[in-house]
Amino acid sequence: MDLSPIQSALSSKSYSTLADTCDELMLQVASRGIAYQEEWPFDVHLLGHVFANDLNSARYLWKSIPQGIKESRPELVASWKIGQCLWTRDYAGVFDAIRGFEWSPEVVDLVTAFSENYTKKMFQLLNSAYSTISVGDVAHFLGMTEDNATNYALQQGWTLDSSSKMLTVKKPKMVAEQKLDPSKLQRLTEYVFHLEH
Amino acid sequence: MDSVEALVAHIQGLSGSPAEVAQLHSLLKQSEDTLRSQAARLAPFLPQLDPSAHTLGYLFLLEAYSSEPNLREQADIFVSIVVEFINSCSTEQIRLAPEKFISVCKSFKDQVMQLQVPMQGIAPLRMALRKIQTSSEQLTPLHPDYLTLCLLAKCYKAGLSVLNDDIFEVDQPRDLFLYCYYGGMINIGLKRFVKALECLHNVVTAPMTALNETAVEAYKKYILVSLILNGQVPSFPKYTSAAAHRNLKSYTQPYVDLANCYATGTFSEFEACIQTHLEKFQSDSNLGLVKQVLSSLYKRNIQRLTQTYLTLSLQDIANAVQLKTPKEAEMHVLRMIQDGEIFATINQKDGMVSFHEDPEQYKTCHMIEHIDSSIQRLMALSKKLSSLDEHISCDPAYLAKVSSPTTESTERKWSMEELSLWLVFSVIFYDSCFLNCVSFYLSSQFK
Repeated sequence: MDLSPIQSALSSKSYSTLADTCDELMLQVASRGIAYQEEWPFDVHLLGHVFANDLNSARYLWKSIPQGIKESRPELVASWKIGQCLWTRDYAGVFDAIRGFEWSPEVVDLVTAFSENYTKKMFQLLNSAYSTISVGDVAHFLGMTEDNATNYALQQGWTLDSSSKMLTVKKPKMVAEQKLDPSKLQRLTEYVFHLEH
Repeated sequence: MDSVEALVAHIQGLSGSPAEVAQLHSLLKQSEDTLRSQAARLAPFLPQLDPSAHTLGYLFLLEAYSSEPNLREQADIFVSIVVEFINSCSTEQIRLAPEKFISVCKSFKDQVMQLQVPMQGIAPLRMALRKIQTSSEQLTPLHPDYLTLCLLAKCYKAGLSVLNDDIFEVDQPRDLFLYCYYGGMINIGLKRFVKALECLHNVVTAPMTALNETAVEAYKKYILVSLILNGQVPSFPKYTSAAAHRNLKSYTQPYVDLANCYATGTFSEFEACIQTHLEKFQSDSNLGLVKQVLSSLYKRNIQRLTQTYLTLSLQDIANAVQLKTPKEAEMHVLRMIQDGEIFATINQKDGMVSFHEDPEQYKTCHMIEHIDSSIQRLMALSKKLSSLDEHISCDPAYLAKVSSPTTESTERKWSMEELSLWLVFSVIFYDSCFLNCVSFYLSSQFK
């Protein structure tokens, strides 16, 4: 069984397409009637779905894995633990699941990349969902100590009221590109013309 | 044609030019009975043929072989032969005998299912489907089979590659019903509820002369997905067939009851309603979806609050939607913000939530692109619709049918053209939703 497409996706750090690569290769291997399951890198495959935030596919993959394989591979179980916490929105549990396992050299970079992404995404969520939030909760959501969480938030421009241990969120300015291409305007004019005649 | 040996020789000799292949085709047709009677001993002949060069002949042999009653015993050999054949067969040649090709693929699907290795059939059936399709708008009898395997193998995502195509050409209405029903299930599995609703809506509103099982099952799921997505079940659109209109609700009473309970918004009543019909939901394998409806009730009730209040305390939210603590209410609100279901900010210091309008102003470059492509697509679709309409209006068979006073509209058989027309119409129906939102927003700005 040739797993080189997965190896090269890992070594080139193409994590966002990793799940697709695994999915397709698995279908191809399966179609040839090869008993692939014993050797299949289910942990990488599962983490690929988790990285792409495709929890449904992660869940179905987990369900399709034979019990014996689940039991014999602790890294696979640890990978699913992350997926499970994401699924139940156990925000802090995600970080515990990441830290609670000694990842093999093969996937450690992938897990780290996911963890960094996830921290950023959580911070963005807090940014958009809160106007004020306690230091304790920020630490909880970002999986950090209170000191680290406070420093992280201050660096992003939030302010701290140390007496109440409350952080005030600073909303970033929306920087979405709003400049209109004249050709687009021309096209829209044509549509209106088309509709009126 | 007397012997298989002679036939194999012909296949080897007559697979070059199109004229030769045509000659071979008629020979093969004459030999069908011989092949069938010899089905049990055909397997050893297959290796003498090259599936890519001798596709047509190979296909006839393979099809006869697949009709062999003891196929089950050699299922794994048969499966690997078919995989090889599908991968290397010539597209032009299989299209000379599409019904044979489809029959082989159907036996293949049956064997894969019997061996309980549905995943093994996914890539080959996808390839088969693409090869036999004359355009991506055509629904083949392999579409429902492909989706069945995706569901069984839990490879839901693999189903999307086929479901993303717009289908406008259908030979067999039955294929369409199953395709849309399974499509609905795959989209439900991936929590793509908008798409799921589209698929199920198609099954429910498709032209039908008599109510069928698929439509009944689809309507059950349609009710549940509608509740999750919109909190209510829309009434049947005008173009729904009379058969569906008259009977669907009476076959799905527990689900209709559930929808009525949902409208009141109280948990205790809703949970009681689930308990009453629990066995029914379980036996229909819809319990998981019913539970998702239940949890959507929190969301729905919070969404209702956003329409009434600008700010509200977490405690008030907890009281209003029957959650135990303000913290629990906070987590629900956070989850909804994360999923883009409401626009709000939580102020922990004061324990308050402020609700906002949707910040979308439809003026970013990205959004303009989206609007633009959506308009272009609808323009193309509407052109297609008028040309189909014109075509049908000139069709004597259609005119005779509609003007005939003897056949009631419910008994009329739908032609392929009418089905296409209906399919284009329903795509337009769904695609225009987005532009409706845009125009609603714009008109509210100009007031």
